[in-house]
Formats: sequence, C-alpha cells, structure tokens
Amino acid sequence: MHIRTTCLAYQFLTFFNIFFLFISFSQSVAGSDPEPDIKSSIIISPDKQFDFAEDCFSNKDYLTAVGEYKRFIYFFPGDERVETAMYRIGMSYYLGRHFKKAGDSFNAVIDRYVDTDLSIKSYFMISEAHVKLNAFGLAIINLNNLITLTHDEDVKDEAYYRLGWIYIETSSWEKARLYFSKISAKNKTKYRLERLSTELNKEKSIPKKDPGLAGFLSIMPGAGYFYCERYQDALIAFLLNGGLICAAYESFDDNNNALGGVIAFVEFGFYAGNIYGAVTSAHKYNRKQTGQFIEKLKNNTKINLFADVKNKGICLAFEFMF
Amino acid sequence: MIKKPYFIIIFVILFMNYNTCFAEQKSTVTKRHSPSFGTAEKQENFVLYPIKFYRNTISRADGNRCPMYPSCSQYCIEAFKKHGSFLGWIMCSDRLMRCGRDETKLSPHVVIHGEKLSFDPVNNNDFWWHQ
Repeated sequence: MHIRTTCLAYQFLTFFNIFFLFISFSQSVAGSDPEPDIKSSIIISPDKQFDFAEDCFSNKDYLTAVGEYKRFIYFFPGDERVETAMYRIGMSYYLGRHFKKAGDSFNAVIDRYVDTDLSIKSYFMISEAHVKLNAFGLAIINLNNLITLTHDEDVKDEAYYRLGWIYIETSSWEKARLYFSKISAKNKTKYRLERLSTELNKEKSIPKKDPGLAGFLSIMPGAGYFYCERYQDALIAFLLNGGLICAAYESFDDNNNALGGVIAFVEFGFYAGNIYGAVTSAHKYNRKQTGQFIEKLKNNTKINLFADVKNKGICLAFEFMF
Repeated sequence: MIKKPYFIIIFVILFMNYNTCFAEQKSTVTKRHSPSFGTAEKQENFVLYPIKFYRNTISRADGNRCPMYPSCSQYCIEAFKKHGSFLGWIMCSDRLMRCGRDETKLSPHVVIHGEKLSFDPVNNNDFWWHQ
C-alpha cells in the first residue's frame, strides 16, 4: 500500500514537471511571435483604403471598387468621404452596367444626405439608370421630384433639359419642347436651345409609313410589303399567295374538296401573315426612321451632362457632327 | 355535297374555334402551374409537334440553313407559345415569307457560332401591340 502511494506520488510529480516545462516552453515560443507580426502587419488608414478604392474605380475594375468602397464605409463610418464613397458605389454599378443596383445605391445617398451636391447628382444618375432600363416613366417621376424639392435654378434647368431628352427618346416631341421651353433664359445658351429647337422641328420631316394603309393594301398580296419598300418580300408574298389561291381553286374545281380545304387552310395563314407582316413592316420602318433621327439629334445637339469621376463638378462636353 | 365556298368557311370556323379553345386551355394550364414554371413548359401544344418533327428529323438531315436568328422553326415555337395557335400561325407564316430576303438587310446582325445572322426575334414583330 505504501509502495503504491509512493509510485503515484512520483507519477504525479513527473506529470507536474512536464506540464510546467511545456507551459514555459509554449510561453517562450508564443512570446517570440508578436513582435515580428506587428512589424510585418499593415495598418490601413482611411486615406489608404479610399485611395485603393479610387484606384480600382479609375482602372474600371468596378466590382472590386464597390467592395473597397463598402469596406471604407464599414471601417471608417465617421470619415467625411463616406458620402463620396456611397456615390462612387452607385457610379461603379452604373458604369459596370448594373443599372438596378446603381439606382438602389444612388437612392441610399439621397436617403442619407439631403440637398448636397452629390445627392443632387444622385437624382440625375437615378434617372439615367432608369432610362438605361427603359423605365422612362420612373426617370420622369424622379426628375419631377427633384424639380419640386430643389430651389436652385441651375439644378431645375438641368432637370428640365434631361426631361426634354427623355421625352425625345420616347418620341413625345411636344412634351420635349415644353420642358426645353421651361429652361431659364440665363441657361438657354448653355444648353444650346436655339439649335436644338431648330433640329427638333425637323421631326415633322421624318419619313413615315401608315400601318393602316399597309394593311389595307395587303388585300392584294404583297402590295403592303411593296408600300413598306420591301420589294423581295412583296414578290414572294404575291407569288406564294397567288399560287396557293390558284391551287385551292383548281382543287375545288376538280372536286378535290379535301385537298382544296387543306390548301385553303394553309393559304389562310399566309394571307393573314401577309397582312400582319405588312402592318409590322410599317411599324418597323417608322421605328427605324425615328431612331435614326433621334441618334442624329443626339450627335448634333446633345450636351453631355455627366458627373465626373474626380468629383470636381459637372463635366460639360459638346459634340457637333459635320 | 357541300358547296365549295361553304367548305372553306366551315374549315376556317373550325380552325378558329379550335384556337379559341386551345388558347383558353393554355392560359388555364399556365395559371395552374404558375408556381413551377418547368411544369408549365412541359405542357406542350400539339401544334408544335410538326415543328418539332421538322427540327428533329428533316432539319438534322437538311442542315441549319436559316439566315435568321432565332431560326424560323424556333421563331414559330416561340410565337405559338407566346400568342397561342391562331396568332402564332399567322406570325409563323409571315416569318416564312420574310426569311432570308429584305429582313437580312434591315435587321441588326448577330454572330452565332461564328455565323453572321439577322436578328429577328418574336418581340421585334409584336412590339407595336404587345408589351
């Protein structure tokens, strides 16, 4: 019994010694680590983080820029550049063609900051994002909200100018003229309204085809296509429909009623298709001509109002095609 | 013996009635299966069988020679699915008449598998009446 107790005591002492040796060793090892870690680690300052995000943005690496701007906002929420970072997130999404997310990001700027330069620019960018998504109605509502909220004459004028162009995009010429006319006298030269209105008046000369007339002419197969300047389609429609009508007639004439019925059934599709196609062709023709006119108008007269990358104000560019 | 003009009229009326019935059936099916889009897609219109037969047998042997994108058969399938049998049939006939002619000069081009094709989807032909 005594021997057993002594053995246990020795075992306990051995274990105790090993344990303390290990502890002291581990402390010495651990103690050697922190100093080099501190030396090798990088402390990111707000300036470094923001500069890195700006670098990504200017190098057109927009998705990385979004992440870095978000990191900046998260770690340095009290920095004065948070608003700029939020605006840049919107711009990164916009330039990266993520228009829905861009709109949401600009809305976040508007919700947080009121009546600042960037919040005003955010309003404009929201409408740009809506236009890119073909949501013209939302773009118009947004700009009208801005006109109601702001007291700055220049901002109102820019909103009117943008509204006018949105209406041009939708071929609503009269509404476009109305909004251009609301621009104050002092900014009429800046937006080159005289030239714009002269060019805009040429919309009456856009060549157009009447879809109703195209459909009516198609009673004679191919005539509708011919009216819409689709001469090959007109010839095919005429020959195909003429051939099928003759075939159906001949079949019935030869008392092959079943065959005549099948041919008439097929012919019905082609005849109706000829009318439908002529009406669609007239609409396509009008759409194409209007699109070309708007494109020419943009190239000749549109002033490019785009919030610049370096936040130095508004960039004004004018382009004229000879 | 049925007279010839009456025969055509009866044929067209039957066709239109069939289309109306079918259009209703289609919308019901879509409503019923709206939570799972895949199931509704499987409810295929038997009007599409001839087109599928053409695509799976004739076109495979004949080769894809349609200069338009989507091809005429694909366009017809999309038109039938989008607008039902009646308008689908009319749009399909219209496309067959236009295929490879003036449309190739007027429509924008896309490059598919290295081949330059004229881009003429269904929404390029129903934009003026269907949103």
